[in-house]
Amino acid sequence: MRAGPCAAAATAVLLLAGCGGSQNALAPKSHQAADIASLFWWMMGAAWIGLAVVVALLVVAWKRRARGAAAGGHDSKAGERAGWYVVVGAGIALPIAVIAALFVISDIFVIRTTQAPAASATRLTVQVVGHQWWWEIRYPGTRAVTANELHIPVRTPVRVDVQTADVIHSFWVPALNRKVDAIPGRTNAIELEADAVGSYRGQCAEFCGLQHAHMAMEVIADPPARFRAWLAGQERPAQPPATAGARRGADLFTSGACQSCHTIRGTSAAGTTGPDLTHVATRRTLAANTIPNDPPHLRSWITDSQEVKPGNDMPNLDLSDAQLDALVTYLDNLR
Amino acid sequence: MDVAARPALPRRNGPTAALLGMAVLVASEATLFAAMIGTYYYLRFETAVWPPRGVPEPKWVVPVILVAVLVCSSVPMELGSRAAQQGRLAAARSFFLVALVLQAGYFAYEVHDFADQLRETPIDRNAYTSVYYTLLGADHAHVFVGILFVVWLLGKLAFGLTPYRVNAARVITWYWHFVNLLTIVVLATLLSARA
Amino acid sequence: MAVVAPPRPAAERREARLELAWRGRPGLLGWLTTTDHKRIGLLYFWTTLVFFGAGGVEALLMRTQLERPNNDVVSPSTYDQLFSMHGITMIFFFIIPMTTGAFGNYLLPLMIGARDMAFPRMNALSFWIFLASGIFIYISLFMGMAPDAGWFDYVPLASRAYSPGSNIDFYCLGIIFNGIASTLTAGQFIVTIFTSRAPGMSLNRMPLFCFAFLAASFGLLFALPVLTVDTVFLFLDRNIGTHFFDVAHGGSAVLWQHLFWFFGHPEVYILIVPAFGIATEIIPAFTQRRMQAFPLVAIAELLVVFIGFGVWAHHMFAVGMPTVTMVFFAAASAMVVIPSTIQVFAWCWTMVIGGGRFRTPLLFIVGFVFMFVTGGLTGIMFVAIPFDQQVTDTYFIVAHFHYIIFGAAVFPIFGGMYYWFPKVTGKLYFELPGQISFWTIFVGTNLLFFPMHIVGLLGMPRRQYTYPDGLGWGAYNLAETIGGFLTAAGIVLLLGNLLVSWFRGEEAGPDPWHGPTLEWSTGSPPPEYNFAVIPKVSSAYANWDHEDREEDRRRLEQGVLVLDEGNRQVAVTPVDGHLSEIVDMPHGSPWPILLALALSLVFTMLVIERYGAAAIMGVLCLLALVGWHSHEPAEETA
Ligand code: HEA
Ligand code: HEA
Ligand code: HEC
Ligand code: CUA
Ligand SMILES: [Cu+2]
Repeated sequence: MRAGPCAAAATAVLLLAGCGGSQNALAPKSHQAADIASLFWWMMGAAWIGLAVVVALLVVAWKRRARGAAAGGHDSKAGERAGWYVVVGAGIALPIAVIAALFVISDIFVIRTTQAPAASATRLTVQVVGHQWWWEIRYPGTRAVTANELHIPVRTPVRVDVQTADVIHSFWVPALNRKVDAIPGRTNAIELEADAVGSYRGQCAEFCGLQHAHMAMEVIADPPARFRAWLAGQERPAQPPATAGARRGADLFTSGACQSCHTIRGTSAAGTTGPDLTHVATRRTLAANTIPNDPPHLRSWITDSQEVKPGNDMPNLDLSDAQLDALVTYLDNLR
Repeated sequence: MDVAARPALPRRNGPTAALLGMAVLVASEATLFAAMIGTYYYLRFETAVWPPRGVPEPKWVVPVILVAVLVCSSVPMELGSRAAQQGRLAAARSFFLVALVLQAGYFAYEVHDFADQLRETPIDRNAYTSVYYTLLGADHAHVFVGILFVVWLLGKLAFGLTPYRVNAARVITWYWHFVNLLTIVVLATLLSARA
Repeated sequence: MAVVAPPRPAAERREARLELAWRGRPGLLGWLTTTDHKRIGLLYFWTTLVFFGAGGVEALLMRTQLERPNNDVVSPSTYDQLFSMHGITMIFFFIIPMTTGAFGNYLLPLMIGARDMAFPRMNALSFWIFLASGIFIYISLFMGMAPDAGWFDYVPLASRAYSPGSNIDFYCLGIIFNGIASTLTAGQFIVTIFTSRAPGMSLNRMPLFCFAFLAASFGLLFALPVLTVDTVFLFLDRNIGTHFFDVAHGGSAVLWQHLFWFFGHPEVYILIVPAFGIATEIIPAFTQRRMQAFPLVAIAELLVVFIGFGVWAHHMFAVGMPTVTMVFFAAASAMVVIPSTIQVFAWCWTMVIGGGRFRTPLLFIVGFVFMFVTGGLTGIMFVAIPFDQQVTDTYFIVAHFHYIIFGAAVFPIFGGMYYWFPKVTGKLYFELPGQISFWTIFVGTNLLFFPMHIVGLLGMPRRQYTYPDGLGWGAYNLAETIGGFLTAAGIVLLLGNLLVSWFRGEEAGPDPWHGPTLEWSTGSPPPEYNFAVIPKVSSAYANWDHEDREEDRRRLEQGVLVLDEGNRQVAVTPVDGHLSEIVDMPHGSPWPILLALALSLVFTMLVIERYGAAAIMGVLCLLALVGWHSHEPAEETA
């Protein structure tokens, strides 16, 4: 019988040991995630007990092995009445009680706390649009458009409207809340409310094709003031290139292939296939959390994005080193 | 008459395997159509205007009359099957022939009409046309299979009556009762778009 | 009246005549045209084993790829095909055909005291169609065009716009094709169970194994058509431009999910119910006790499938359905638990009071109970909607269903392989290697699947061909991979053991386990006619009713219900099993395989989009059917 609890403890340790990453559903950073996590710990405790009961029965059976097994014992009626009690009691009554409790707690109470707020019930609403394989992020009511990096003010409920531009994706930030799918033709919503300043990793959870594995994002919770500053920055059009190199980069971008897919507000580049690059240099990562955002990686991304993220919708572009330098300096200055 | 065939045996007091087999087939076919009709209503309630603009409402006068005709074929089928069981070969043949004429007539017109409708509103117009033609087409397909059955049966009966063929007659008659019921349900579903 | 019993030789003479009447054609031709349920069962067995091997190798490839972060053993597109084919293979080409096709075909007629299925030729047909569909879908893999959108193949990812290749066309057609075979088998079982039982075997005297297969068959019968409709819609959307799932034209992407899971959830119970049936045979055999709470267990087996039809949307809790809808389906999923718990405690209690012999088959059943409870308990956790929405589409789900599929559906299959091995081959397997194989597989699977719970909670989504470093997933994935290979080793040991025992094992005799049901009352391997006399049955554990078996011997000598002129068997009334009539069975026919051949031509033409040619091949099918019915067995004497 004691097997259950201590085994439970053992797994608990295992789990905590695994708490390295920032995508951990059991290291909640919001009241919603916290409720779900504690719901889980309770269920797991109960489950170990249920399992222990069954294992105990199996052990008893093994201890009594090779007793009645003599051929012909099959006519004895011994233990049958008790059998009915066990099956009806433990097999019907007990589970009904247990499950009823579970059902009421989780699907009547906990479910409320994780529910999405009504439209415009929160002060801030963010619009997230899934693309193969990156996240477009807009702040309705402002001109701010960015990608793969969702900034929110800390300790403030935020409604996230989740949509898709192509196939089904699923928006999921385990440390903050449950997940919700992005379904064609629909808008699903969910609430994010980070308890602490910090960055929380999220990842697309519904299989969406070749690069489903590289469709991650960061949710960054800032103090309200810093958030407002950031938003104001994102609203501004791109600052014009300062240096000669940057200027050459800008020309390349707006004349070459890039502008057919990318938008840089304040320039003639207005493509919509790829992420908005107006303030790309302010982002921490590139290509939906696949590589860090620094000149060398940016460079490698532009020349062979197909090696970095095989099958993604941006083609490898063969450019001379000079052109590359120009582009990179330009993009790297888009703050 | 199995007493006549095998005096030694007790008269059968359960359904034949063949009949149960047909019941099973009918059950799975019914599920098939249930799923399609479910789809029809699911799509309907996802869409504001039904049928969507630019798509004509389904015609009803002629189809209803035709289906009535088709359903009538259940009578000669049943009579034919009864006659077969009583060993009246000639009667059985003529009843099934009558049924076949009704069924083939219905089918011929419907196919022709189906083609016409496709010409004026193609299937790839929208979700409504998709489910409309698919459901209707599936029903026609079942009628066609039924016709093949009857043709085959008549072919067999041309060479006389055996217990095996009597059994076949019963089973095929069952199938037809089912198809006729099905056709009514399908038509009702499609016409519900007018309501 | 007082008939003077004829001398002993009479019995032998009758057996000889049966021998003659039921002997199949020799050689390959015999196998191609056979309608003997035992041979068909074996054909199913070997074929599904090969598919199991394929699915397993695909799995091991996935495990190798996932063994460390940022690994690149296989390309993304290969990985997508691997997990899709793995899921499709294991579910449609391994478990279903292994349980219904192999175990059901071989054992069911033996357990109900019949000489063959109700429609022997249709039985053969379903096997050949199954084989053809398997080859059909595997050809796509070798052409690098295998289905790659997962086993539930969500649209719009699976639509032309996002999947231009033929991959998904293979999926649609392969599934439909395979569905025909399963439907035939299901209907086959239902009719056989209702008409071909030995006189006296009223439904309440039917072995639990048969109840389980009855439940599975009804499940298939009502679930598969919905999947067929779904895949037909998808095929039309992709190939003739309909818009069932296309939002832009009034279709709905969620419609696909509803139709799929309306099939998909019953399917998972269809996978497990036969395993229940196997457990309810092995436990009585090794404890020498009747199953406790027999009626409850029988009802539970039927009920689990029935309720299973009302829970499908619990696979869709994240698509954003109204809360009331979700709560309804959560409640239904909670209810579906009860039949399972009933059975778990019935099994356990029977073992407790029985004090059984823990030989390999029973060991596998013990392992099965353990794994089933573990997987079932995580299943219940999904009833908590918020928790499900947290872990859905993560490895926590993968852990749940592998515990319950591998642990609860495959373990009994392994146990059954050992248990019925003496019956099928007439040899005893080797016990020690058997037990070793059990422990290897048991440890292997737990090492393989338990850590998946943890990585799931640590945020690892399923279906990713690789994962980054630094999220704390690496160690667990490595453990899983090791467990995977350990499992594989155990399985190879198991198969090796049986293979060797087949040639070197000692003679088993007709009834080595003192088994409870009728298959043990006849020879090992059973003669082609199964039973020399249609057995007398007066309880669900017929082989334990010695006086009835004595009665059989007397009947054989007196020639009562021996039916030794031609291939004949009895038909009974569906419920109370009164003798209804004597029917002649067809015996051996080339038409099933020919029809299956024509049908596979149809599907081949469809996948290469030659619709005219497909129609012509369809006509071939009709001709085959006419030929099939040209010969009229004197059966069905109306
Ligand atoms: C053999 C197949 C099988 C079986 C039998 C089950 C059994 C159950 N399954 Fe599972 N399930 C799958 C195969 C199966 N499942 C598969 C393949 C998927 C994933 C599909 C995919 O996404 O690819 C899935 C996914 C799945 C989901 C969707 C998860 C998600 O995607 O978000 C859910 C949600 O409710 C669920 C629930 C259940 C429940 C409640 C049971 C119950 O029937 C379990 C009942 C059993 C028990 C409860 C054990 C007995 C326990 C005791 C005796 C102890 C005492 C118990 C108590 C006191 C409660 N399953
Ligand atoms: C019956 C069902 C079944 C079974 C038995 C298994 C068995 C295994 N499965 Fe799974 N699995 C599924 C059904 C099953 N699976 C389903 C439905 C999915 C979801 C797919 C999807 O997402 O679409 C899935 C998904 C799935 C994933 C997730 C992929 C992903 O999401 O990215 C993984 C990853 O590790 C995995 C691994 C395994 C492993 C290692 C085994 C091992 O236990 C396999 C062990 C078996 C062998 C190694 C074969 C040994 C046999 C032989 C050697 C016979 C030799 C042949 C002859 C002698 C002729 N499976
Ligand atoms: C055919 C369309 C296309 C063209 C042409 C194109 N891109 Fe892209 N680009 C994309 C797509 C799609 C993505 C998102 C890839 C992903 O993350 O899956 C992307 C991503 C990027 C990113 C990373 C953005 C982020 O925040 O993650 C940068 C930087 C970028 N592109 C720069 C360029 C430059 C510079 C050029 C021209 C030299 C260019 N792109 C040409 C489609 C294009
Ligand atoms: Cu987007 Cu997975
Ligand atoms: Cu389910």
